Amino acid sequence: MVEQLLQSLSRFLPETTLTVALCSTVVVSLFLGRKSQATLFVALAGLVLATWFSFDQMGVSETIFSGMVAVDPFSVFFKLLVGLSAILILLFSLYSSEVQSTLHRAGEYSALILAMALGMFLMAGASNLLMMVLAIELTSLSSYILAGYTREASDSSEASLKYIIYGAVSTGVMLYGISILYGLTGATDFYGINRALTEESVNSVALLVSIIMILVGFGYKISAVPFHFWTPDVYEGAPITITAFLSVASKAAGFALMMRFFKVSFIDANAVGLPTGVWTSLQGFEWNKIVAILSVLTMTLGNLVAVWQNNLKRLLAYSSIAHAGYMLMGVVVLSDKGLAAVLIYFMVYLFMNLGAFYVVMLVANKTGSEDIDSYKGLGHRSPLVSVAMVIFFISLAGLPPTAGFIGKLFLFAALLDATWIWLAVVGALNSVVSLYYYVRVVRNMFLRDPEGNAEPILFSTPQLAIVMLLLLPTLFFGLFYSPMVELANASVMMFGIR
Amino acid sequence: MELLGIGILTWITFLPIIGMVAVLIVPKENQGAVKWLPLVITGVQVVLAVIIFFNFNRGMAGINTLEGMQFVEKGTWIDIKGVPWFGRIVVEYFMGVDGLSVSMVLLTALISFIAVIASWNIEKSLKGYMAMLLLLDTGMMGVFVALDFFLFYVFWEVMLLPMYFLIGVWGGPRREYAAIKFFLYTLLGSVLMLLAMIALYFSVTVLDPSTGEKIYTFNMLAMMDPANFEPGSLLAGVGTQWRYIAYVALFIGFAIKVPIFPFHTWLPDAHVEAPTAISVILAGVLLKMGTYGILRISYPIFPDAANYFVVPLAILALINIVYGALCAMAQTDLKKLIAYSSVSHMGVVLLGMAAMNTQGMVGAVFQMFNHGTITAMLFLIVGVIYDRAHTRDIDSFGGLAITMPKYTGIMTVAFFAALGLPGLSGFISEAFSFLGAFQTHRVITILSTAGIVLTAAYMLWALQRMFLGQPNEKWAGLPDINGRELSALVPLAIIVIVLGVYPGLMIDVLTSSLNHLVEVVKTGAPVALVP
Amino acid sequence: MAQEFIQWLSHPGLNHFLIISGILFSFGIFAVLTRRNAILVLMGIELILNAANINFIAFSRYGTGTLDGQVIAIFVIILAAAEAAIALAIVLNIYQNFNTVNVDELNQLRD
Repeated sequence: MVEQLLQSLSRFLPETTLTVALCSTVVVSLFLGRKSQATLFVALAGLVLATWFSFDQMGVSETIFSGMVAVDPFSVFFKLLVGLSAILILLFSLYSSEVQSTLHRAGEYSALILAMALGMFLMAGASNLLMMVLAIELTSLSSYILAGYTREASDSSEASLKYIIYGAVSTGVMLYGISILYGLTGATDFYGINRALTEESVNSVALLVSIIMILVGFGYKISAVPFHFWTPDVYEGAPITITAFLSVASKAAGFALMMRFFKVSFIDANAVGLPTGVWTSLQGFEWNKIVAILSVLTMTLGNLVAVWQNNLKRLLAYSSIAHAGYMLMGVVVLSDKGLAAVLIYFMVYLFMNLGAFYVVMLVANKTGSEDIDSYKGLGHRSPLVSVAMVIFFISLAGLPPTAGFIGKLFLFAALLDATWIWLAVVGALNSVVSLYYYVRVVRNMFLRDPEGNAEPILFSTPQLAIVMLLLLPTLFFGLFYSPMVELANASVMMFGIR
Repeated sequence: MELLGIGILTWITFLPIIGMVAVLIVPKENQGAVKWLPLVITGVQVVLAVIIFFNFNRGMAGINTLEGMQFVEKGTWIDIKGVPWFGRIVVEYFMGVDGLSVSMVLLTALISFIAVIASWNIEKSLKGYMAMLLLLDTGMMGVFVALDFFLFYVFWEVMLLPMYFLIGVWGGPRREYAAIKFFLYTLLGSVLMLLAMIALYFSVTVLDPSTGEKIYTFNMLAMMDPANFEPGSLLAGVGTQWRYIAYVALFIGFAIKVPIFPFHTWLPDAHVEAPTAISVILAGVLLKMGTYGILRISYPIFPDAANYFVVPLAILALINIVYGALCAMAQTDLKKLIAYSSVSHMGVVLLGMAAMNTQGMVGAVFQMFNHGTITAMLFLIVGVIYDRAHTRDIDSFGGLAITMPKYTGIMTVAFFAALGLPGLSGFISEAFSFLGAFQTHRVITILSTAGIVLTAAYMLWALQRMFLGQPNEKWAGLPDINGRELSALVPLAIIVIVLGVYPGLMIDVLTSSLNHLVEVVKTGAPVALVP
Repeated sequence: MAQEFIQWLSHPGLNHFLIISGILFSFGIFAVLTRRNAILVLMGIELILNAANINFIAFSRYGTGTLDGQVIAIFVIILAAAEAAIALAIVLNIYQNFNTVNVDELNQLRD
C-alpha cells in the first residue's frame, strides 16, 4: 500500500510541483510585501518546472492513486498544453496594464492561476468520477475569482457572478447525472463503468439521461451551445489575460476530460476484427449523434453571432465558441483519427488564439479600448503588430499557409474518413462565415484611416518578441506540420485502451 | 533545367517572394527602388517563362503521366511515417509543366510584368502594394506549376489575402464591398474544393517503391489513374454518386473563379473597384485558374463525371456567353462593360471545354491565353482614360479620335481583337472553340454564336460613342497616351497580332497535351452521355 | 389504495430516496430558472447538489454495496461549501458595485 502510494507520488510530480509553487507564491507575497512582480516570477518558475516534469512523463502509461488519475501520453499532452499556455499567460501578465495596475494583488493572481493550472492538470488525467468533479471544481472555483479579479471594475464582477451561477448550475446537473451513472453501474472509475456496461445491460433511458446531464457539465466547460451563455459576458468582463487563459487552457482541459470519459467508458472492448484506432460504442449507444448536433449548433451559433459583435473581446469569445464546435467534430469521430485531429487543433489553437488575444491586450493597453472601431487605421500606426494580427486571424479562419489550415484539414479528414460528410460540409461552410468577421477587423486595420489620433503606436522589444514567439509557430506549422502530427500521434494513447 | 542547383520552376514561382522580402526591407523613402525592384523581378520571371516556353518539348503530352511532364521537380515536403491511424502521410513538393500549363506560365509572367508597369503611378503605401502584388504573383505561378493537390491548394489560397488587400486598399469607392465579396465567394469555392481534395486523398493510394507499403497521396497524377483508387473507398468506382458529388464540389470551387453564371456576381464589383493593374491581373490570370483547374484536375480525375455533366457545362457556357454579352451591352461604365465581356469570353472557353474534342480544347486553352492578353489590354486602356478624365462613363466621351489618335489606334486593335476579327488572335481561338463544340453540341453552339454578334455590337457601339462623332469640349485638352502606358500596351498588341497571323506558335504547344487529355477523358470511363 | 401507499411509505427503499432526490433536483432547477435574486439562485444550486448527494448515498446503501458513493457525498458537501463561500463573496462584491443582487439588473455586458 505504502509502496504503491510512493510510486504514485513519484508520478504525481508535476502536480506536486504546482502545489508547492502555489504555496510559495502565497508565502512570497507575504514576505516580499506588495507592489512586486516577484510572485509572478515564482509562479512562472513553478509552471516551467511542472511542464518540464510532465514532459519527462512522456511514454509512461499507468494509473496512480488506485485508478484516480491516469498518467498516459494523452494526459501528458494536455498537461504540456495547459502548462505552456499558463506560462504564456504569465508572460502576458508582465505586460498587461490590468494586472500591472493591481500589482498589490499579484500574489493572489499568480496563486489562482497556479490553482487553475493544477485543476486542469488533474482534469487531463482524471479517470474517476470523483476526481473528475473535484478537478473541474478546482479549475472553476479559481476561475470564478479570476474572472472578477479587477474587483473595482463592475464589468468584471458582473462577469464573475454570471460565471459562477452558470458554472454552479451545470456542475450541479453534472453531479446529478454522475450519481445516476454511479447507481446504474456501481462504479466510480471509468474502467469500472466500462466493465459494468459491458457485462450487464442497463436501463438505456436512465443511461441516456445521465449522459445528457454529464454533457451539460462538459458543455459548460468547453462553452458549447446551448451551455455557452456565460462565455461572451465572462470573456468580455474578465481581464484579457484570464480571458485568453480560459479560452485555451480551460477549454483544452474540458475536452481532455470529455474525450477520456466517453472513450474509456463507452469503448466496446470486445469488438473484434477492427483495425487499430477504430472505435465502436457499447450497446449501440449513439451518444456521438448528440455530440454531432451540439457541434453543429455550437459552431453555427458562435460564427453567426460573432458577425454582429463590435467589441473585439466579445468577438473572440464567440469565435472561441465556434472553435469549440469545430473541435467537437473531432469528438464525434473519437477514433484515433478524430482524437488526433482534436489534439492537432489544440496545438494550433494555442498559438493562434493566444496570439490574437495578446495583440488585443497590447492594443488595449495603448488605446484603452477593445472596440473594433478603435482598430481603424492600426495598420498604419503599428504595421508589425497589425500584420501579426492578420496572420492570427487568417489562421483562425483556417486558410493556408497557416497552422490553422492544418488543424481544419485534419478535422475534416477525420470526418470524411468516418463518412460524416454532412458534418464536414457544415464545418466547411462555417469557416467561410468565420472569415467574414475576422476580415471586418482586418478591414478596420488596413482599409480604413485612423480616426482622431493617428500617431504611431510603439511597442517594446520584449512585447514584440512575445508576438513573434506566437507568430512563428503559427506560420511554421502551417508549412511543416510533421512535428505536430507526430506529437499528436504519440499522444492519442490513453491508459487501458488498445 | 536548373539554376544554381534549384529547379527553374521553383525559381519562377518563388522569385516574387524574394522580391517581396526585398521590397519590404528597402526603406520607404526610396520610392525608385520600390518600383524598380518588382519590375526587375517580374522581368526576370518573363525571361524564365520564355526560356521554359522555347525549351518546351512540343511532342510530349503530360497530363497524367510523369514521363510526359517537363521541368519536373519532385521532392518530399512532408513525410510522417508510422502513423497507425492514418497510414503514412506524404505530401510532395511536386511541380512540372505540360502543354496545358506552359501557356499559362507564360501568360502569368507576362501579365505580372505588365501589371507592375501599370502600377507606376500608385502613391498610397507603395511598398505594401508592391509586396502584395509580388505575393499574388507567387500564388498564381504556383497554381499553374503545382502537380500535388495539396501544394496546388496552398497556392490557390495564398492568392486570396493579397487580392483582398489590393482591391480593398487601393481600389475605387466601393472597394471594401467588392473586396470582401471576392474574398467570401472564392473561399466558399475553395472549402468545397478542400473537402473534395480530402475525399480524394482517402481514396487514392500508391505503393512506396522501396518498402511496398501503401501511402495515401495528394499526387494529382496518381489520382488520375483509376487503378490507384482503393476498392471500397468513397470515390472508388465509376460513375458513383459520390464521384458526381465530389466533381460538383470541385466544379463549384473552380466555377466561382471563372466565373460561371450563377457565381459571377463578384466579378463586376471586383473588376470595377480594383485598381487598373489589379483588374489586369484579375481578368488576365485569375479567371483562367478556374478553367485551368477544371482541365487539370476535374477532367482527368473524374472523367466519368465530366462526361456525365458535359451537357450542363455546355448550357452554362451558352448562358455565360449570351448573358455576359447582354449585360455588357447594357453598361455605360466602360470598365463594367469590359468586366462583363470577360464573362462572355470565358463562356467561349467553357464551350470549347465542353466540346470534349481536341479542336474544342485547343480552342479553349488558346482562348484562355488570348483572353488574358486582350482583356489585359482592354483594362489598361480603361485605366489610361480614367487617369486622365476621372470618369469611365462611355456616353460622356465622344470624338476622342481627334484628341488622342495614338490611344484610339491601340484601342481599336484591342476592341477588334476582343470581338474576334480575323487576323487577330481572338478570332482563331473562338473559331476553334465553336468548331469543336459544333461537333458535339450542335444546337447550343448555334445559339452561342449569337454571343459573337452581340459582342461585336457592344464593342463597336462603345467604340463609336467614345471615339467618333462630335468631340466633347470638356475633353479637348486630354493628353494622348504616354510612353509608359504604351510600353505596357504595345507588347500585348504585338502578341495579339502575331498570334492572329501565326497561331501555330501557341497551338503547337497545346496540341499534343490536349489530344492526350481528350483521350484520357474519353476513355477514362465508359459512361453514356446525358441524353 | 391509500392503504397500499402508506404501506409503501413505511418501508423505505431505494425508490423512496430517488423520488425525494428527484423532487429536490426539480425544485433546485425551478429555483434557478425563476428566481432573480442571486442568493435565492444559489440556494437552488444547493438543492441540486444535495439531490445528487441523496442519490449517491442511496445508491451506495441499496445498490452497489460499496462505500464509494458515501465518500463522494462527503466531498460534494465540502465542494458545496467552497462554492457557496466564493459565490457569496462575489455577490457581496456585486452588491458593492451595483447596489442590487438582482441578476436581471446586471446587464452592462450586452451585445
